[in-house]
Amino acid sequence: MNIYIDILFWVRQKKWFLFTLLYGLVMYQWVSPPPDLNLAGYHALIIISMALILIITEPLPLPAIAMFMLFMQVVWGLDTANNVASSFMNDAVFFIMGSLMLAVAIVSQGLDKRLALGIIKLTGHKTWRIIAGFTAISAILSSFIGEHTVAAMMMPVGLTLVRYAHKDPRKVAGLTAALLFSIAYGATIGSIGTPSGGGRNVIMMNYWSEFGAGSVSYLEWMKYVYPMVIIEIPITVLILLWTFRPEQTNLDSAVRKLIIDVARAGKMKGREWLAIFLFILVFLGWVFLSEAFGLGIIALLGVFLYLAFGLVEWRELNRKTNWGVILLFGSAISIGIQMYDTGAAEWVAHIIITNLGRVIESPTMLQGSVSVLLTGAMSNVLSSSATVAVVGPIVLDLGGDPILIGFMTAIASAFGYFTAVAAPACTIIYSSGLVKSKDFLRAGWKMGVLSVVSLLLLSLIWWPML
Amino acid sequence: MKKKPTKIETKALKFLTAVSSVEYSKPTLKMGSLIASVFDASLGVVYVGEKASEFHGSSVNLTRHNLDNWNIIHPGLEVLEWALKELKKLNPENRDLAKIQFNPDHVYEEDGRVLVILPNEDGSRVELILREGELVNELRKEIQLEGYDLAIIGGSQNKRHLAHSLIQYLPSSIFVLQKFNPRVKYKLLLLVDDSSATSKSVKWGALIAEKLGWPVRTLTVSKTKRFGEGYMGAAATAKKYFDDKGIEVEQFFLTGDPVRTFVEFAADNHFVIMGASTLNPVKQLLFGSKPIKTLEQTDVPILIVR
Repeated sequence: MNIYIDILFWVRQKKWFLFTLLYGLVMYQWVSPPPDLNLAGYHALIIISMALILIITEPLPLPAIAMFMLFMQVVWGLDTANNVASSFMNDAVFFIMGSLMLAVAIVSQGLDKRLALGIIKLTGHKTWRIIAGFTAISAILSSFIGEHTVAAMMMPVGLTLVRYAHKDPRKVAGLTAALLFSIAYGATIGSIGTPSGGGRNVIMMNYWSEFGAGSVSYLEWMKYVYPMVIIEIPITVLILLWTFRPEQTNLDSAVRKLIIDVARAGKMKGREWLAIFLFILVFLGWVFLSEAFGLGIIALLGVFLYLAFGLVEWRELNRKTNWGVILLFGSAISIGIQMYDTGAAEWVAHIIITNLGRVIESPTMLQGSVSVLLTGAMSNVLSSSATVAVVGPIVLDLGGDPILIGFMTAIASAFGYFTAVAAPACTIIYSSGLVKSKDFLRAGWKMGVLSVVSLLLLSLIWWPML
Repeated sequence: MKKKPTKIETKALKFLTAVSSVEYSKPTLKMGSLIASVFDASLGVVYVGEKASEFHGSSVNLTRHNLDNWNIIHPGLEVLEWALKELKKLNPENRDLAKIQFNPDHVYEEDGRVLVILPNEDGSRVELILREGELVNELRKEIQLEGYDLAIIGGSQNKRHLAHSLIQYLPSSIFVLQKFNPRVKYKLLLLVDDSSATSKSVKWGALIAEKLGWPVRTLTVSKTKRFGEGYMGAAATAKKYFDDKGIEVEQFFLTGDPVRTFVEFAADNHFVIMGASTLNPVKQLLFGSKPIKTLEQTDVPILIVR
């Protein structure tokens, strides 16, 4: 009897995996490929759609899905094992690997206490100024060191303020939500600002160079995109204050307690200065050397320096780095390249253009709308980087200037404001248990409108001037 | 996180109470504590929280490690800390429990869960468990890992789906505390039929009645007017068991649809005890069973003995 229960329970746990297998079998065995798509392209589409179902429903660990995407490419004859292996590892994957390890190295230095003092010195005690400070600092820092690093460092500061403001954070739900969302949304809007702000930006840069669309330097990226970060910061603050209406207008007592807490850390120590210095070196490397060496190699060099100077232990890096995500991005980029090479991406782009072209007549408007809406919608159910890895090859085949379309896609992938799963910063604040799913919707739709309008202004006014 | 120390003592029966939040879990914890004291069972408390998407799991963990440095503990551990305080309030006479202090230093990570073991000087201990993931899946893992005899769970909004999954997949007895009102004087209602779990449910029911002094009723329902030998024999055995223990029992024999009759009879002032179904699991999945349907349809606390 127990064996039957175990089997039934396994089926219950793995129902989406079984559905995916069934879907793949039906598509492979009984559905003919469209006449204008070759067999390899059709198989690439089946693999990627199966992977998407598995990623969204999570019946299997991410590394298993990554391996599935890799071996299926060889089994269904899309490419040879060696070619799949070489498309799996590239500078974008190096960058994701390096930035995840850098996050661990930076967060473990305890610089968050210094950061807390710095912010409070800048903002003073008024609630609206603290929320503005949190949003601005999170946005600016995440542009360079990635949103997950910033959120991990800012969360203790935000939660400490909330706890000092009231014993029970639920009694100051508005203040709590405003502070935590200022970290999450601040980090998210900032992450588009430079290539190093998020893995998705580097994935797009990798696709540009892989598909011969040209290249963009670190500073050029900033020139195109950073104005949007600057526009969004004050508006995000207004949205948060309007949506959550903090119960306290002054956090005088909470701030004083926080300063006492933080002051116990004493003066800046040598290793903290060294940690900052090394990160500045990495940043300068990204700005001035990334075209020659690649962003990923410089990130790995940074990790090497942190390890060499003994600022972080390998054991800690190994334990806290999500190797599964690295495998997944490597394989998602690999299948993305197959989609491009086999013509599957072009076929999907053609279908979208043919169907939506009846509704939207202007080709530029059509390309922009598709890239923004498709990416924005997908990033709310999938992770933003995975969205760019999957959608990138399709939108770059839509026609028009691939660099501008690529920018739009990378930017729109940060529009995951509506759910807790889209962006790491959103997941982090959700894990505190102090904000609810509906809070993401309450503020998220306003952030969505703001971001689409800002992107529209950027593309219509700023980009033509460059 | 440290390595878990070796176990100190294991009592005969092990019960597990699932708590969800400070706001909603007080009645569950109260009843769990009461039932555990009736059976002299050790009581574990588990909090099953939402699991972060695997994409961002490491970022969440990195943040939590950093929060530890600021003495901000996991929200689930806060609920468990509250649970320990409540248990102390509920058992003021328990001096061993009173000595146990919640200490985040006693947090151990193993087997995909976080365990707070709070040992007392005399060797007794309280286990607080933090798990993240889907409720039924995590409870099943915990019960299989520690060999719990009974899982005590609060009612749920998503009752239909949860009832089916809990009864079908949890390998222990299950006590679902639906709409428990501490002010109501409950009567114990034992559902007696010829299934193999009836004798254990009679024993458990007798113990509860004996310790809590609740009045006992047994109910045997037949679909036809004729009650078979198995049903009558089970009812007679139950009566004799209660008589031997000196517990007064009222016996009822009704005809009709068993589940509907149970539900109507239980109304809102009975504490139902029934045996788990011995039906084939596939049939249970497809067509349900008496315990599954009763749990789905009734709003009173129900203990399903496996």
